[in-house]
Amino acid sequence: MPTAGAATEANVECPPNMTFAELLRANQSMVFSLAYHFLRDRGAAEEVAQDVFLRLHGKLDDLADSRHVVFWLRKVTSHRCIDYARKRGSQFTIALDDTSEPSVASQPGDPLLNRRLQQLIAALPEKPRMVMVLRYQEDLTPEEISEVLEMPVRTVKSHLHRSLAMLREKIERSMGDIR
Amino acid sequence: MQDFEQQLRDALARKEQPPYFEAKVLAATRRQPKPVFLRWAFATASALLIAAGIWTDHRAGIQAKEQLELALRVTVTELGKVQRTVRASTEEE
Repeated sequence: MPTAGAATEANVECPPNMTFAELLRANQSMVFSLAYHFLRDRGAAEEVAQDVFLRLHGKLDDLADSRHVVFWLRKVTSHRCIDYARKRGSQFTIALDDTSEPSVASQPGDPLLNRRLQQLIAALPEKPRMVMVLRYQEDLTPEEISEVLEMPVRTVKSHLHRSLAMLREKIERSMGDIR
Repeated sequence: MQDFEQQLRDALARKEQPPYFEAKVLAATRRQPKPVFLRWAFATASALLIAAGIWTDHRAGIQAKEQLELALRVTVTELGKVQRTVRASTEEE
């Protein structure tokens, strides 16, 4: 099921020995999107993404090459997003209708369906939500997700299976209501 | 199943970061305090320079002292010669 996706593309975009500015340029969309799809808050996503890149700046000498940087960025962004959501706790309200969508060159698919799916994903618990974002934004395999999130592959597969079943059921119900 | 997964990919397609994001991050990296090891390196280098300066002064002092001692020894020897000459001429008279 995994396709040649963003994970591979990101590696190709990052040959070894890139400068910090080049790494930032090549990966800013990936880091910002991970945070945005997880937090559904443009300001919070920007804050998390900036923090992640500042950490990268301080750590660049320790990272072997740019390919390692992509893995490191996904890992740190995912953990930082989960921490951010936990810290905000009950104060964090997802006001989807109030937030303006960041621009995307040409958003494929049905915009209404996309929005409904984004709302449903945003309502998932933190870890399953991040598993879904890494799977369908970055096209990572369950094995790659298990490395990024430091959880067993079986747990990743179980999150994916349950989240997909729940989303499918809710989407079918919503479509039924619309008809 | 594949259709539904494609819908999820469409819904979670990468977004564009704000246009000012890159400049903002680069500006923030310039404001970042230097890493701890760099601060230690600067402190160690400064301490070494100060110590080297003190050591150089100390060496220069020792050399000056040695030169003064040599000059005094030469002076004492010469004075001894003069004294012996004066004494000899006094005894002849």
